[in-house]
Amino acid sequence: MSADRSKFVFVLPGLIVLVAIILFPLLFTIRVSFSDWDVARPGLDWIGATNYLRLVHDTRFWESFGRLALMAVGSVLLQYMLGFGLALLVWREVRARRFFRVLFLIPMMTTPVIMAVIWRTMFHESLGPVNDLVRLLHFAPLPWLSQAGLAMMSIITVEVWQWTPFMFLMLLAGLLSLPREPFLAAAIDGAGPIRTFLRVTFPMMAPISIGAIIIRLIEASKILDSVYVITSGGPGTATETSSYYIFIRGLRDFQVGYAAALSFTYLVIMAISLTIIAKVLARAMLVRDRA
Amino acid sequence: MSALYRILKYAAILLWSAFVIAPFLWALTTSFKTANGITGGPTYIPWLQYQPSLEGWRLLFRSGGGGIQIGGPYLDSLIVTISASLISLVLGTLAAYGLSRFTFRAGFVRNADITFFFISQRIMPPVVLAIPFFLMLQFLGLLDTKFGLIIVYIALLMPIAVWVMVDFFNTVPRELDESAMLDGCSPFETFWRVILPNSKPGLVVAGLFCLIFGWNDFFFAFTLTFTQTQLLPVAIVALNSSVTPWWSLSAAALVSVAPLVAVAFVLESYLSRGNLAGAIR
Amino acid sequence: MKRIKKYTLLATTVALALGGTLASAQDFKKYGIDKDVPGACSYASMSKKDYKGRTLSVITHAVPVMGEPTDLHAKQFQELTGATVNVVHVPFGDLFQRIMIPFQTGQNAYDVLFYGSLWSGDFHDYLAPVPKKYLDTAGMKDVTPTYRKVATWGDTMVQYTVDADRNYLKYRTDVFNNPEYKKKFKEKTGHDLAVPKTWEEYDEIANFFNGWDWAGDGKPHFGSAEVTKRDDLMFSAFIDRASAYAKNPNVKGGMFFDLKTMEPLINTPGFVKALEMFVKAKRYFPPGGDNFGLGDEIFSFGGGQTLMSYTWDDAFVQAMEPTSKIRFKVGSSPLPGSHEVWNRITKKWDHFDKPNAPAYVTWGWTSAVAKASKNQDMAFDFLCFFSNEANADHDLQIGRFGINPYRNAHFTKSFWADKMGWGKTVGDQYVDTLLTIDRSKNHVFDLRIPGVNQFMSSMATGVSEAMAGQKTPQQALDDVAKEWKQTVNRIGVDKVRAAYANVVKLEDNE
Repeated sequence: MSADRSKFVFVLPGLIVLVAIILFPLLFTIRVSFSDWDVARPGLDWIGATNYLRLVHDTRFWESFGRLALMAVGSVLLQYMLGFGLALLVWREVRARRFFRVLFLIPMMTTPVIMAVIWRTMFHESLGPVNDLVRLLHFAPLPWLSQAGLAMMSIITVEVWQWTPFMFLMLLAGLLSLPREPFLAAAIDGAGPIRTFLRVTFPMMAPISIGAIIIRLIEASKILDSVYVITSGGPGTATETSSYYIFIRGLRDFQVGYAAALSFTYLVIMAISLTIIAKVLARAMLVRDRA
Repeated sequence: MSALYRILKYAAILLWSAFVIAPFLWALTTSFKTANGITGGPTYIPWLQYQPSLEGWRLLFRSGGGGIQIGGPYLDSLIVTISASLISLVLGTLAAYGLSRFTFRAGFVRNADITFFFISQRIMPPVVLAIPFFLMLQFLGLLDTKFGLIIVYIALLMPIAVWVMVDFFNTVPRELDESAMLDGCSPFETFWRVILPNSKPGLVVAGLFCLIFGWNDFFFAFTLTFTQTQLLPVAIVALNSSVTPWWSLSAAALVSVAPLVAVAFVLESYLSRGNLAGAIR
Repeated sequence: MKRIKKYTLLATTVALALGGTLASAQDFKKYGIDKDVPGACSYASMSKKDYKGRTLSVITHAVPVMGEPTDLHAKQFQELTGATVNVVHVPFGDLFQRIMIPFQTGQNAYDVLFYGSLWSGDFHDYLAPVPKKYLDTAGMKDVTPTYRKVATWGDTMVQYTVDADRNYLKYRTDVFNNPEYKKKFKEKTGHDLAVPKTWEEYDEIANFFNGWDWAGDGKPHFGSAEVTKRDDLMFSAFIDRASAYAKNPNVKGGMFFDLKTMEPLINTPGFVKALEMFVKAKRYFPPGGDNFGLGDEIFSFGGGQTLMSYTWDDAFVQAMEPTSKIRFKVGSSPLPGSHEVWNRITKKWDHFDKPNAPAYVTWGWTSAVAKASKNQDMAFDFLCFFSNEANADHDLQIGRFGINPYRNAHFTKSFWADKMGWGKTVGDQYVDTLLTIDRSKNHVFDLRIPGVNQFMSSMATGVSEAMAGQKTPQQALDDVAKEWKQTVNRIGVDKVRAAYANVVKLEDNE
């Protein structure tokens, strides 16, 4: 078998299986988005672009994108910085590092929908431990879930708690597989730890960083369980994100057709913006690599 | 390295550890409370501050008496997650190797685009996929079965496996392939005999991600089943009635994370070995 | 299971041999009931059925509310009839879609469904009418007219009554009866401290008892615990407050919509006034009280943190649990009302000397059998067994089951005072409260029309936006009205009107 033919043997099985599973749902969603499928009217009639015209004027949908951007970008950046920092901390010469490595991984292993309930009890303003700690530090109790800014912060905190381990793992795995020679060379040059990090570690970690950030952005954008449980989008609409809004329209309201239009729009916007983000990140982070 | 730096370093590690562990400690103490232990405000130490009870834990293993039996769902979750993860890992690794080592061109489509196509499957919010997947499994007669869930999970997990493995294979030096080819290996033999044995860390990471995402999926496990098949998160959420039972949900959170913590230990040991592998190469 | 089956078979054979008169009641005591009440749905009748080899699929609420009794009776039904009963438990927020997806895609997923009766406008087409045989049972005939109405769509009973719910006021009797507090309250406000009859009084009392330690346990206590979390059950709490101002007993033809034009009335002054009051109420909520779900409300009032609360029974039941710190210190009364009620015809506020306090029949749990079910006989048998007199009697006594009085027989005072152990004071008052609500000639029912969730979720969003200060109450409700209008047009004016006419008929006592 020639190399040229055999390359398909590698890629095609996965590709075919994936397309087989995903093709129908995807096409179906697009088709549904042109229908008036609703709680009172199941089925695939044809109403043209009505749903899309409606969503253009749906300020709640567009506002939710802004909040999503803030929440996703904010929490992913925090996760990346914290994850990188933690990976560096337990990379070398630390006592009991294997213990800490395992410990740092654990939050990622928990079921978001259940942990969100636990976090809601923690943030409970009179029965939870967070305000207890605040009181211990001699501050007034804070409205963690009922004030717009704090509610957003609370949700970001939960996201950071849950998903920093993901970054940590990716980056630690990356760090652990780095070759030693560049570090030796830097040491011979007399570079300090900060210079070594900027000149050697960070550039070598750039490809894995970009991948990790992109995949986290994708996942973070779908945030639903924690919003639903912790604030259910409130106070007002202060923590309502796109996917939560789509959830309300699609499964609460059961406006299936409209939700499909919202989702497809979401999919297109996300695919475009992620591509742009990936390109920008690559340019910013890989510049030295290419030079 | 200065003493100050060391102090800061350990302080940072300990601070983060405290943050990580706090919800679990809270869950642990909450799991032994009753409604009375909760409504009095936050308390932490059993006997001293509240009267502990085993009710929260009992609810997890009791049926017919206001509880759920998580034994069956536990097993179902293990079967579905492990099967879907393994299949995804096999298919995803193959595809990733192909994408990493060969050049594909079809019109404007390049390797990176194919990789992105795989990953992009995860962009769609699950909410919308509920009804299409429901109809698909209905057509196949696989609603409310483990097999149906495995199929859906493959679509969810394979993109993760592809993504991790592409990144990973890109870091494996091509010289390894080339020298194997020179020794007369076919592409597949090269992959099987030379690359795969050197890829354990990547495989472990990818496999773990598949397990985590599969194990923790709530949405599809919830919408695509009725009464016969129940996965763990769905069974646990069945406790969330008009009163949110802080106690039993806390116990459930601890129980459901247990098997994955075991996996974390395995993973960590592979990471350390990955370190060695990196040194050798 | 087999052994029990054999045993009951034997018992039946013996009973038949003895002329069918041998009382087998004691055989069923092991199920925890007092005594089997003879009838078509009794333990004895069920034990004669043979459903061996057949499977019943049931969807119900999470445990314990409705979920636990479903489990319990499923197991009993299994033992009595030999059927296999599979039950799935779903949290309330996800129950609708979990039922609706199979309905709309034609999948025969569940035989028996337990759900909130407010959805009957969406579900009724998919439900099997209750057969005459079951309508004629003594248990069904004893269901109060109010809850027969709730179970009926048009002229057909499509839901099987297994529970009844209503929202009412709960308060701390120890505080209201405290002479010192009475004096202080009089000094401060110039009014006598009494159970509030209007929302204005509620406001005043809650505000007075907010933020200080009136329970004497060293902790601050608060005025009122209310359901305020947006996509939780907040819509019902808002209707509780709004009915007093918006449901004018002298104006027929709809409270949420003008039935004739199907114009939304949600932004009329009655609703706006209620929303203004709701926004103002934030000042006497406990910390976090503007993001309380029902569970938080129950903990807050049931745990003794707050003076008053309204909505469902759960908080009251929690307070009356044997282990509760405030057992016997709670009282109940119908919801407060208002002296001023908006009249949308004259466009003026009507004055009522006796406060207008409509009774909101807040949906409540119901059950039904799917039209697509191939086991309808067995499914209805299960529901009639579930709600037979012996079981209802048993279930009412277990607070966490969430099953509340729905038959005339359930309003027996001695039952609550003695059997339930609530004593005469609490028990009698509870029965009186429930009876007042049940017999009221001024009911508010849920908006049981197709797409009820769409209307309720946009209302909740508007209310929440006003509570968060994003919009003024008027602005928020204007936006809700706009959205309601669009929703009505989308679903179809005639379709919505036809459904709403059913609701209005009930509210106008026609």
